[in-house]
Amino acid sequence: MSKIGVFVCHCGENISATVDCARVAETSGKLDGVAYSVDYKYMCSDPGQSLIKSAIKEKGLTGVVVAACSPRMHEPTFRKACAEAGLNPYMCEMANLREHVSWVHEKGEATTEKAIDLVRILVEKVKYNQSLNAIKVPVTKTALVIGGGIAGIQASLDIANTGHKVILIEKDPSIGGHMSQLSETFPTLDCSQCILTPRMVEVAQHPNITLYSYAELESVEGFIGNFKVKIRRKSKSIDEKLCTGCGLCTTKCPVKKIPSEFNEGLGMRTAIYVPFPQAVPNKPVIDREHCTYYLKGKCRICEKVCPIQAIRFDQEDTIEEVEIGAIVLATGFSVKQPDFFPEYGYGKYPDVITGLQFERLASASGPTLGEIRRPSDGKVPQNIVFVACAGSRDEAKGIPYCSKICCMYIAKHAMLYQHKVHGGKSYVFYMDIRAGGKNYEEFVRRAIEEDGVNYVRGRVSRIYEKNGKLIVKGVDTLLGAMPVDIEADMVVLATAGVANSDAEALAQKLHVSYDAYKFFAEAHPKLKPVETNTAGIFLAGACQSPRDIPESVSMASGAAVKVACLFSQDELTRDPLIAVVNRMAPPVYSSCVGCFLCVSACPYQAIEKEEIKNRAGEVIKTLARVNPGLCQGCGTCVAFCRTKSIDLQGYTHEQMYTEVMALLNEY
Amino acid sequence: MDELIKRAKELLEAGTVKVVIGYENGSADKTRALFAIEPKDADKLIFDSRCVMNLATYITKAEVKGKGKMAITATLPVMRAIIQLASEFQVNDSNLLVLGITPESKMIEFKDLAEVEAFVHKYTIEIEAKYSEKLEKLDKMTPSERWSFWIEELSPCFKCYACRAACPMCYCHKCTVEFNQPQWIPVPSHDLGNLEWHMMRAIHLAGRCIDCDACYNACPLGIPLNLLTKRMLIDAKEHFGGYQPSIKADHLMSTYKPDDKDNFIM
Amino acid sequence: MAEFEPKIVAFVCNWCTYAGADLTGTSRIKYASNVRIVRFPCTGRIDYMLLVKAFDEGADGIIVSGCHPNDCHYTSGNFHARRRWIMFRSLCDFIGIDIRRIKFSWVSAAEGAKWADIVNSTVAAIRELGPYEEYQKVAKKPVKEVING
Repeated sequence: MSKIGVFVCHCGENISATVDCARVAETSGKLDGVAYSVDYKYMCSDPGQSLIKSAIKEKGLTGVVVAACSPRMHEPTFRKACAEAGLNPYMCEMANLREHVSWVHEKGEATTEKAIDLVRILVEKVKYNQSLNAIKVPVTKTALVIGGGIAGIQASLDIANTGHKVILIEKDPSIGGHMSQLSETFPTLDCSQCILTPRMVEVAQHPNITLYSYAELESVEGFIGNFKVKIRRKSKSIDEKLCTGCGLCTTKCPVKKIPSEFNEGLGMRTAIYVPFPQAVPNKPVIDREHCTYYLKGKCRICEKVCPIQAIRFDQEDTIEEVEIGAIVLATGFSVKQPDFFPEYGYGKYPDVITGLQFERLASASGPTLGEIRRPSDGKVPQNIVFVACAGSRDEAKGIPYCSKICCMYIAKHAMLYQHKVHGGKSYVFYMDIRAGGKNYEEFVRRAIEEDGVNYVRGRVSRIYEKNGKLIVKGVDTLLGAMPVDIEADMVVLATAGVANSDAEALAQKLHVSYDAYKFFAEAHPKLKPVETNTAGIFLAGACQSPRDIPESVSMASGAAVKVACLFSQDELTRDPLIAVVNRMAPPVYSSCVGCFLCVSACPYQAIEKEEIKNRAGEVIKTLARVNPGLCQGCGTCVAFCRTKSIDLQGYTHEQMYTEVMALLNEY
Repeated sequence: MDELIKRAKELLEAGTVKVVIGYENGSADKTRALFAIEPKDADKLIFDSRCVMNLATYITKAEVKGKGKMAITATLPVMRAIIQLASEFQVNDSNLLVLGITPESKMIEFKDLAEVEAFVHKYTIEIEAKYSEKLEKLDKMTPSERWSFWIEELSPCFKCYACRAACPMCYCHKCTVEFNQPQWIPVPSHDLGNLEWHMMRAIHLAGRCIDCDACYNACPLGIPLNLLTKRMLIDAKEHFGGYQPSIKADHLMSTYKPDDKDNFIM
Repeated sequence: MAEFEPKIVAFVCNWCTYAGADLTGTSRIKYASNVRIVRFPCTGRIDYMLLVKAFDEGADGIIVSGCHPNDCHYTSGNFHARRRWIMFRSLCDFIGIDIRRIKFSWVSAAEGAKWADIVNSTVAAIRELGPYEEYQKVAKKPVKEVING
């Protein structure tokens, strides 16, 4: 027989002003199974909680209904109070008399009646509540960081410095990401490589970090604290342990005309190559798509010149299987390919380039050694035009969002140009200048006021060639949409930042949600910016949306702390409000018939097949089984199961059924 | 169907299968299921237009399944049911061999269930004209008229569960009606009990019913309960691009599309 | 005779509509007191048989509400729910259950005002339709004219 206590809170006057709390307590007290009921001014206060605790002890209560505010507010408070008094916390339910009654209805009979109804529903529900114990899951204290750009580097270092192991995987031959391609960084104009490379080296040398470059995520199984990850280490065709990185092979390789990815196609590289001089690891890989030996079966020059015989033509991809407790996604972004704008003539005119290409031109380590020379003839452009929002904020192009970094890097580009080309003229076509950030606005003002960059507010409609000049047709909207034609020697497009082409596939592999633009989705836009909806997987940097360096770094450190919090515990404690498949005595074992429609309905891949075997080891029945580590408790499977074989703890069939019955029937 | 008998005998003699499921003559000019275990039993096999019962009902039964590998005489609806059952992990290539009978009454032996599926997919599930007319008539009624129609049609039902027994998709060991904690479906066969039983059955068959009419044929009172499942089929076509049983494809009701119809949601 | 006060049961998810209804409260937006909320973790958990049970037990109207598409706390529970609603609603209509009495809605945690509107418009619509006598006759429940005494 249930002995339920009902505790009606006045919430000062928040509830009692419109609800007759004394009557709610009195009426509830008469309900079947209610052993005690009382109303009190502030149930959540210390004396209020003591009231509950002493009633539990003195009356031997088996269940508690607190009729107060929203359970979303104080359910944890009252469950904790119950637990302190020795009652299982899951034997406590809350009726929402404040948000759902007193604050939304006028004082009167009907309002009090509704309050009584809500209490009654939960009294009946509590009769079917079961004592539940928190689920404990062990934690493997190794983190996987995917992506070796600045975000991945920062996250790896921060996690490693808390004393935990990190595996960092990078798909390219070197870590460094987009930041390693940049010339100088806004708003301080310090050299990107100079601030980045020490971090890259630190990663390589950190005792807690294992770096797998030229590696990709193959598959992920498991759940928070317990992921089983397969990493594909692509064959580099060299013995990494032997190779000293002397670079002789790269100088002798006869295939020299491959557009360099690092230089955004403005420079060339060989088939066996190190992407850039400061690469980490500084060891070459053979690009099998371009290597003569792999294409034609002949050459092997690198093998001949290698002083230590480190070339391995027959090396195959290897799969590394690792156990991981948390994952940080830091896969970054891509730049929209500018063939997207036929009107701007990218591809048609060699001197129409992207912002990232300009970075390479301006970089001391770039193909022009930092001199601004145009790709077509190597001449220094005397007139240069920068086009902001090339794709961004353009719904017609399918990119309604702002790419965020362009306003700042365009100001930087124009500034760098003015510093390097004395007497040159630069123009920026922009829609708005978005320079929110510490010292950002000042930086843009400097470009305009001190370096004399001409800012023109308006969009560029077309770029075409005439008499060896690029004619940029735009308007100046600040001068009444006056047409502006500029004869330029070079044009730089601030192309939109977009998600990587494989972002969707990666998200699906990890069961992480993503937005309409394929950027990974954070769990909450304000309060959980580095978490994903999949427990144990975190986000850092531009894979979540375009971000600049300081933001990427902050996010990375944030994600690292989330990982460190997770790793500070040996076991995770989870709410036991999860689904379970019923079990019955043999020979039935369960009412589950193993149709496994629930498997495809589960958003978390939490349902697996369980084989029941006899003593001889033969499978006699196959049932669904819910993995308590993966189940998040949505109950989608429960409503789906025809045989009612799965039930959701805390929201069981009996509990929900009873609530509906109690709601519509007064006893 | 000499060919069928011959092949059934061979399979049983060779021990390839332990039982051949087919039709034999029953009483009062009706046919019934035959379970041929000895080669000589196969002589009783028949196939003609009276053979409408969906034999797939038997392949999920422990008594039949337990004998070992089964072969089954399968008309198109039976094959459809087999594919749906295979997609629900109830049968597979290791325990079932399909001796198909085409709509032209020709026998084809399928190598595996994937072949059966390919064959099944040559035909779409079409609602027969006589039923379409009935459904259209019902659609034209007001909700109140439909309500009266169904309450009246369902009122003679005394819950013999012949519909459930005849349905190849109703293979659950414990049906929702047998749950009493809570008592989802009222036990008595009063109007409410009947209504809820048939509603629940229809919705459990949504995206699974292969439209064989076995339930209707089995109903001793001739209740047109197959109209309910046919309605679900039409809805599946209208909203989700149609239903066709498939071993590998996602199930109609355990999957979704982000752009599923939304216009009824405020 | 007192005015007919419809009994309305709302089946809502915890993360969006329940939170949205909390916001209605926090914003002190008033609405009709006829609705009683039953809290579920997700619309995906809502068993359509419970809706039938609500009518059995005398509900005059039902609200089912959860997170907007793509906002589901559990990623896709609402998508699964929506597909079931489509079928269930159609079946109800085919059987002759008055689907004007079942309102489906998406109410986010930020849409406190929308929740009040949904409740008010549902109450008004059901008031117009009157008690669900047709169903109650079959369910053999006497129709109560007034919810509160």
